[in-house]
Amino acid sequence: MAGITAEASWFCCGNAWGPCGSAGHGACGTCNSGSMQHAWPNTSDACYAITRPDSCGITGMSRRTCGFRHATTSPCTGKRIVTSIADCGPQTDLFCGERSCCGGNCASNRVIDFTPAAFSALGLSLSSGLSPVSIDVA
Amino acid sequence: MGTLAAAQPLLIALILAWSGYGKLTSPDQADRTALPRLLGESGTARPGWFGASRAVAAYRGVAVLEIVIALLLLRSWAIGAVAAVALSVGFTGFLVYSKIVVPEASCGCAGKSAKPVGNRAIGRALLLLATAGLAATASTAWWSAGVGLLVLVVEAAAFAMLSAELDRYWLLPLRRLRIRLGHPYAGTASDDTPLVATQRRVLLSPAYRAVDGLLRSDIHDYWDDEDWRYVSYAAKYDGRRATAVFAVPHQNSTPSAIRVAVVDEEGLTLYRPTVLATAG
Amino acid sequence: MTTTMDRRSLLSRAALGATGLVAATAMGSLAPEAAFAAQTPDAGQPDPNFAEGVITGRNQDLLQVQGSDGRLHRIQLTGVTSVWKLRPTTIDQARIGDGLYARGVLLPDGILAAEAIWVNIVNLTVAITAIGRNGVQFDHHGQKVVGHVQSGTTAAVYNGTPAVSDLSMLTVGRHAQVIGAWRPGTNEIDIATIYTSN
Repeated sequence: MAGITAEASWFCCGNAWGPCGSAGHGACGTCNSGSMQHAWPNTSDACYAITRPDSCGITGMSRRTCGFRHATTSPCTGKRIVTSIADCGPQTDLFCGERSCCGGNCASNRVIDFTPAAFSALGLSLSSGLSPVSIDVA
Repeated sequence: MGTLAAAQPLLIALILAWSGYGKLTSPDQADRTALPRLLGESGTARPGWFGASRAVAAYRGVAVLEIVIALLLLRSWAIGAVAAVALSVGFTGFLVYSKIVVPEASCGCAGKSAKPVGNRAIGRALLLLATAGLAATASTAWWSAGVGLLVLVVEAAAFAMLSAELDRYWLLPLRRLRIRLGHPYAGTASDDTPLVATQRRVLLSPAYRAVDGLLRSDIHDYWDDEDWRYVSYAAKYDGRRATAVFAVPHQNSTPSAIRVAVVDEEGLTLYRPTVLATAG
Repeated sequence: MTTTMDRRSLLSRAALGATGLVAATAMGSLAPEAAFAAQTPDAGQPDPNFAEGVITGRNQDLLQVQGSDGRLHRIQLTGVTSVWKLRPTTIDQARIGDGLYARGVLLPDGILAAEAIWVNIVNLTVAITAIGRNGVQFDHHGQKVVGHVQSGTTAAVYNGTPAVSDLSMLTVGRHAQVIGAWRPGTNEIDIATIYTSN
């Protein structure tokens, strides 16, 4: 698969503090905020029915199941991480067309959400929350 | 009182039919309720993402039962009313169980709603129970209730107000209207630039690209001084602790107008890219 | 305070080019990979250079943190640690009972030397269900969360345009993404940035 460029954010999981208290360990039952993991919008039919990347015009979004590894590079920092799927998300259809940029690189559409550990390992700030990334199969 | 009791089966039948239809059209909703837990299917999966077959089957079963009782109420109202009392006792019990044992579970009462079971849902179940109880005392059929049917409009409104599923049809438009008449945050606009706007401009600048590999922290400090806003980060330069400081002009919004310097602990400037304008 | 002001003033002058350079610019020394050559953790595994949890103890600038995954962390804050708690702030703001994420370098003695910590930070995908003077009410996967507006800090991003302090375009019924700071022990947050459409 050729790498795709998309917008990334972060989410918490693992019954941690605050509003994360009821988040559970994600659709895969393995998700923890401190682990190198991510959410993917097409982990099952039920998942795809909720995230609906096709409503943003993204067709052919690959079905990838729990544990599948993606390598992600940040054009902002040049850093690369490898993370595995631990949840279903993000809800791509709520953010169609939203764009974030870094230097000369911009990306639209939310197709990946990282745990705080993974998002910050890319050298990205949790307080800015959104960033373009390029995603590939690890 | 007699005509009021007689009118009830019609209302109960309509509510049960609506609720049964909602359940049949969104059977996946079963996973978000306390049913999987009640039936011993509870896993660690987030409700709604993956199927839980026994819960879905039970959910569909309840939907069919609701529709059967609705039909019964319309034809053999006396038997239907007793069945409706039994069903609403079950609903109330399930919702109370749900609120105590699985507080994050949604009610699943009439299809799609992620809201956890709250007092409104339990209140609605109790209202249904009271209505069914009243219907059980009826001595005539609902079609001969006459003016009693008019009271149903008030009761239906009460049901609608207790139904979180219907909020978007009346509550949210009402709130939108209120905000249109006077927005609580009408006076919040100001000329001050929020820090997040500055942060975004920094990320877009050639200055940031020139030093991004040196940065070790998130924003460490920020301050305004005349025409500039300054934002500093902890950095490392040649293995030495340093600070990267960006100067962002308030007026000039071109990315190349942003400047940066890397300064060590002693205050010596270690690095200042000078060709930013062309790098952009 | 004086030293902070002196340092700020020095940094301001350096950024504007009013100070001399001591080292010639040598791009060769800027290789970012060199600084981060540290082992990258395996996919799916906890990152040893990252910590998540609730602060259970504080001894001067050493934090004890109980992770939700069962890990216990000791986190050392220093003058160069960046601290976010609704806004960039100082290390004394990390208090017992606060939730936190920390990134740094795990030292051989098991202490995480923090480079950046984010205290009580949340990133929620919500629907706006009510807007009142006391705050904005959100529906977060069915749970109610109340967001408070902090004048001078809270910013809104409408349709991806630059952030502004004007919140008068927030609309009931719209979806939003909210970066905020949780108020420990409650379902309330202070809003840092709200991304939405108008």
